[in-house]
Amino acid sequence: MDYKISDIEKSFDGKIVKNLGNNDYIIKINDNEHKLKIINMNSGGIEFILDQKYHQAKYLEQSTNEMNIVIDNVPIVINRHSHFDEVVYKHSGGAGAGNAQLSLKSQIPGKVVSIAVAEGDSVKKGDVICTLESMKMQVSVKAHKDGVVKSIKIKETASVAKGDHIADIE
Amino acid sequence: MIEKVLIANRGEIALRVIRTCKALGIKTVAVYSDEDYNSMHVKQASEAYHIGEAAPAKSYLNQEKILDVMLSAGADAVHPGYGFLSENDDFARLCEKNKITFIGPSADSMNLCGDKMRCKAAMLKAQVPTVPGSPGLVKDADEALSIANDIGYPVLLKSVYGGGGRGIRLVTNDNELLEGFETVTSESISAVGKSAIIVEKFLEKTRHIEYQMARDQHGNAVHLFERECSIQRRNQKLIEQTPSPVVDQETRDRIGELVVRASEAVDYTNLGTAEFLRADNGEFYFIEINARLQVEHPISEMVSGLDFVKLQLDIANGEPLPFKQSDLKMNGYAIECRINAEDTFLDFAPSTGPVPDVVIPSGPSVRCDTYLYPGCTVSPFYDSLMAKLCTWGQTFEESRTRMLAALNDFYIQGVETSIPLYKTILNSEEYKKGELSTDFLKRFSMIDRLTEDLKNEKIDKSEAAIAAAIVHSEYFKSRIQNDASASANWKNKLD
Repeated sequence: MDYKISDIEKSFDGKIVKNLGNNDYIIKINDNEHKLKIINMNSGGIEFILDQKYHQAKYLEQSTNEMNIVIDNVPIVINRHSHFDEVVYKHSGGAGAGNAQLSLKSQIPGKVVSIAVAEGDSVKKGDVICTLESMKMQVSVKAHKDGVVKSIKIKETASVAKGDHIADIE
Repeated sequence: MIEKVLIANRGEIALRVIRTCKALGIKTVAVYSDEDYNSMHVKQASEAYHIGEAAPAKSYLNQEKILDVMLSAGADAVHPGYGFLSENDDFARLCEKNKITFIGPSADSMNLCGDKMRCKAAMLKAQVPTVPGSPGLVKDADEALSIANDIGYPVLLKSVYGGGGRGIRLVTNDNELLEGFETVTSESISAVGKSAIIVEKFLEKTRHIEYQMARDQHGNAVHLFERECSIQRRNQKLIEQTPSPVVDQETRDRIGELVVRASEAVDYTNLGTAEFLRADNGEFYFIEINARLQVEHPISEMVSGLDFVKLQLDIANGEPLPFKQSDLKMNGYAIECRINAEDTFLDFAPSTGPVPDVVIPSGPSVRCDTYLYPGCTVSPFYDSLMAKLCTWGQTFEESRTRMLAALNDFYIQGVETSIPLYKTILNSEEYKKGELSTDFLKRFSMIDRLTEDLKNEKIDKSEAAIAAAIVHSEYFKSRIQNDASASANWKNKLD
């Protein structure tokens, strides 16, 4: 995945190369491999040892393309080309042709931030139905087919689990 | 004996006073506005009373309401802190009338200190040098002209009703003076409906050096050394230190004697501060007396080993000073950084709002006076000062590097702070060498250097930041692709 830190010209290509087990990983940033040991991690942040140095990062507001983190007390904005929306869309059946399936299901667990449609609305395949927040990141869930919104099964601010029913589109 | 003190203030200074009172077994009464019901001083005091709306005029400046609380709570003394009612002689008089001890100077002395012209006259009489200029208001442009020629250009034309850069002009010759006299007059009239102008010599590359003074009700007076507060923005202090790099023992004693004389000239009691400008040629000129406990008092506590709030209470109780000047010795070096909620890059505009998380530095010889706690709010109604970070060292260099370490440890989420600027300043060669002046920020382009430092800091942290982003992204991807809901253990979900 490609990353760019605002105010710095350089861009970074980064990925996990190998899971060594015991929370040890090899990651690659540009051409250099690093050892990374995760001490602790949750949706609020991560503590880790990169090579031999301890770091602490807080994950603040995230969108699929922009991350606000505080690394060792230094606030940094990172832009990434993640295509998360597309991945979610694809897994909802959006990429397949002629999907006859009625229900739109959530591909990720998260909190419902907003609902973009009302029952009875006509939607086109790819229209945003709702926005979920997961790991402080907002991801839109899009209609997997053309049709009319028959029913909405979620409420704003409620939590949904992976596989939960979001809406019926007929 | 004072047994119950009402603190007519909020924020860190209210906490500061409460702390000493608690240590001495004195009960405390907090007051709070609508904005402050969840503030730390309310939680720390023995009792807390609501006194009105958020706007200071409707709460912390409401003398009648505060008096009501003092009477009904049975407080026998009031500590005004700084700001708000601290230098309001009407309030001091109101307390005197109601037999409540005002912890500070008498109302009359405070009134004299607050009246710049009368105070200056008192100092001249006591042979304390003041900034050369007109002895009082000038009646017209001609008089201003003759004074300017006496003391020499450049001079400042100041309206006594001005402030914040309005009603003030720097002039360098006769023509500019005549023109400036007109503008200052009209600016002052349009702002407050009247004009009263004084002429003062303009001093370049000045340092702001002040002396802590203490005088008891029996006329014993001492100074508790100097503080240099030259690093300022818009006439507000940002960083203070003691001792000053340009004050040696001979100067300290010599100016210290003037300070004692100044305190006598206005019959000052309790703790106060005599402020001086030091010209580049080494001359000291008295500017004013701050008739209160000052924001930057902790650095003087650090080098004197005294608790100033305790000293204030003792003096207010009528006790004589427990030491003479010759007993007092300065120990080490101390620096204070005022941690403000403001955006350095928006001309220090206030930055307010919730503070979900905060990490307060600590350790040997690190002191942080603050009202912050995780989950608190920085209110737009009050001062932007959130915390005072002070460090002590046996040498100046030790206090400086200790301050840098403490600044690095300080984390305040949610608002912009002056911390990054202080790191740039404390790392600069000019600061290390003590090349201080009130125009320090501008003279050494500190804001531009801060921009550069912030960029370098980001470059320095970029690999770690990318590592954190990679883990976040990979984990998120795995949540979409695998069934992550079954496991609460995030760490094992990356592949």
